[in-house]
Amino acid sequence: MMLKTNGFIALFEYISDNASTLLNLTIEHVIMVLLGLALALVVGVPLGIISSKNEKLASVILSAANILQVIPSLALLALLMMFLGLGFKTIVVGLFCYSLLPIIRNTYVGLKEMDANLNEAGRGLGMNKWQLLMKVQLPLSLPFIMAGVRVAAVIAIGVATLAPLIGGDGLGREIYAGLNMRNELKIYAGAIPAACLAILTDVLLGRLQNRMKSKQSRQKVETQQGAGVSVSN
Amino acid sequence: MIKLNKKFYMLVSMALLMIIVGCSNSSGGSDKLKIGAQTYSEPKIIAEMYKALIEESTDISVDIVADLAASPIVIQSMNKGDVQMATLYSGEIFNGYFEIEETKDRQEVLKQAQQGFDETFGFKWFDSFGFENTYAFTVRQELADQYGLEKVSDLKEYADTLKIGVDTTWLERDNDGYRAFQDHYGIKFNETFPMEISLVYQAVADQEVDVVLAYTTDPGIKEFNLKTLEDDMQFFPPYDASPVIRKDMLEKHPELEGIISKLVGKIDVQTMASLNYEVDVNKRSPKEVAIEFLKAEGLMSNES
Amino acid sequence: MPFTNSISQFYQFLLERYPDILVATREHVTIAIVAVLLSTLVAVPVGIYLAKNRAKWLHSTVFSIANLFQTIPSLALLAILLPIVGIGTKPAIIALFLYALLPILRNTLAGFQSVDQSVIEAARGMGYSAAQRLFKIQLPLAFPYIMSGLRMTTVYIISWTTLAALIGAGGLGQLIVSGIGVNRKELIFAGAIAAILLTLLTDQLLGLIERKMFKRAKSA
Repeated sequence: MMLKTNGFIALFEYISDNASTLLNLTIEHVIMVLLGLALALVVGVPLGIISSKNEKLASVILSAANILQVIPSLALLALLMMFLGLGFKTIVVGLFCYSLLPIIRNTYVGLKEMDANLNEAGRGLGMNKWQLLMKVQLPLSLPFIMAGVRVAAVIAIGVATLAPLIGGDGLGREIYAGLNMRNELKIYAGAIPAACLAILTDVLLGRLQNRMKSKQSRQKVETQQGAGVSVSN
Repeated sequence: MIKLNKKFYMLVSMALLMIIVGCSNSSGGSDKLKIGAQTYSEPKIIAEMYKALIEESTDISVDIVADLAASPIVIQSMNKGDVQMATLYSGEIFNGYFEIEETKDRQEVLKQAQQGFDETFGFKWFDSFGFENTYAFTVRQELADQYGLEKVSDLKEYADTLKIGVDTTWLERDNDGYRAFQDHYGIKFNETFPMEISLVYQAVADQEVDVVLAYTTDPGIKEFNLKTLEDDMQFFPPYDASPVIRKDMLEKHPELEGIISKLVGKIDVQTMASLNYEVDVNKRSPKEVAIEFLKAEGLMSNES
Repeated sequence: MPFTNSISQFYQFLLERYPDILVATREHVTIAIVAVLLSTLVAVPVGIYLAKNRAKWLHSTVFSIANLFQTIPSLALLAILLPIVGIGTKPAIIALFLYALLPILRNTLAGFQSVDQSVIEAARGMGYSAAQRLFKIQLPLAFPYIMSGLRMTTVYIISWTTLAALIGAGGLGQLIVSGIGVNRKELIFAGAIAAILLTLLTDQLLGLIERKMFKRAKSA
């Protein structure tokens, strides 16, 4: 199986001929990832908040998530398959597991990095703990959380390519079919979009993260001015 | 700050919405049929044939779940109801699903498959398509010429210098796997390399392995100029291919019985091998090859 | 599930099959170590060079390339290499080598950048040549960072090596894949647990070494 230069043309033809199938696979891939991420956000952000308030819990939660992270993806998916069966649901659970650590850790760090002055400012404005959390701390931690989502998304896209091994769909199916049918074009038609998807996600979320960071510095100034506290750096 | 708050709630609600959508996404409709297929092209082609036939004459929409790791996984999925139909091989009875009587007779094995899978899983195992796809020891032609290899027993002399490539399961299979093989033939290879079945052909082409345990209908044998050695001590059981479907699916849609029977006895070894060749070597899609076959056999109208 | 029954079954299985598990582990560790070593051989010198040459375009190009390899999904990278390099351990090692580049590079750079300029100046004043500065001052001081990067990278590489089984390279992933294929839970479990244990063990071991390094660096 040697790659020839006219292979690029053949690849292009193959992709355009099969555009709708490939698009479907891409959409399936994205849905799996989004779902896993969404679940991880719903569970991870609260866990991150809890960790930032309680150091003891923090070390437990972070170590647990870290161990989960380090488990080889194939192993975790295979174990999940043994208990949950094949298919979509199992994969989403797997993606959820891998997205947890980045999100929990970044939420935790984001909240911890909070400038004490801002907390003072908020309290000065008469906010209770809950309002402080929702109106000041979380919004200001958004860039950090965003960074976590970005890392999690890239990892999830990678793990999702293994989905076919346990009966799932997504771009991995094309890669795997290509491997099994000894068809290089299929392999590339699956692998290259998967790679591009990951890279694109990384870049776009990176931009979003930067935009949030610049918003954050503006927010900081507003909060402090609102409470009549001088901006200290 | 109020703006950012709204954004935050939007994010949360979007997340929850996606979860709800995702959950409803995975629940299937009642008029859906899922056909499971293993990793090699053969069951995929057959699955495409059935998809075309079923969708043409009924309202059922068919999904093909391909690249399931191996036949046991397909059976497990069918049992769970994740898929309802598949192509399976009679030799599966030796994988310990139910009590069997030891036999190498093709008819007997098929009968036991039909009976056993019905009683144990509630599957209807149809009669064979007309071909068998079993394991075959193959070697590079030059090696066969060099050592004068004709039968599997001939390998005995040279086995401790030979490297063999096999599919990911053969080393583990109880009944017709490596361990049983060693007992039966008394042959032990120098090194064994398990990998996806399609990769073994690359391995032998690169001379990273000398012997390949191929599947008899696989075009790789022809494509890579491999010589098939005769199973002189009759180690491998018969592996007749048949369509298998969950009985409850048949009860819900009795018209499927007729459609499935259309292909029974219609595909012989040469035909299947050449269909596999079209997909694996000529790189055509299983769907295309399947539909072409159906039209040529007059099993499908020529308008679509 | 009669739980105690399955545990004893699993134990039986381990007793029977541990030679295979050991072989798989050996293959696994070999691939991972070779990949990490090769990656270190490339990434550390590049990191040292980047610490000297602060050209922004250079930094961002090198990092973008390394980042690219990190971002590409592992199966995709393995699959892309397959038609070019063939099957087996070669494409696996190459893919893992590419993966390890970014973290090692980044940590090497961070390590070198953390060295206090005044120390380097002092060394120059004392007549140390560039090579002496590099080996006697900078490397030892940067070592803890490099070690930290190596640790994290090795752990991840061992984790990812499980995928090598998909392209015929063996390793613990092979146990998992065959286990899935013959539907034998003990096999899947054995492969998965072994891979997890190996990863955690490596993490702990390297963590120990890393802490020793930090202690030594502090006293330096």
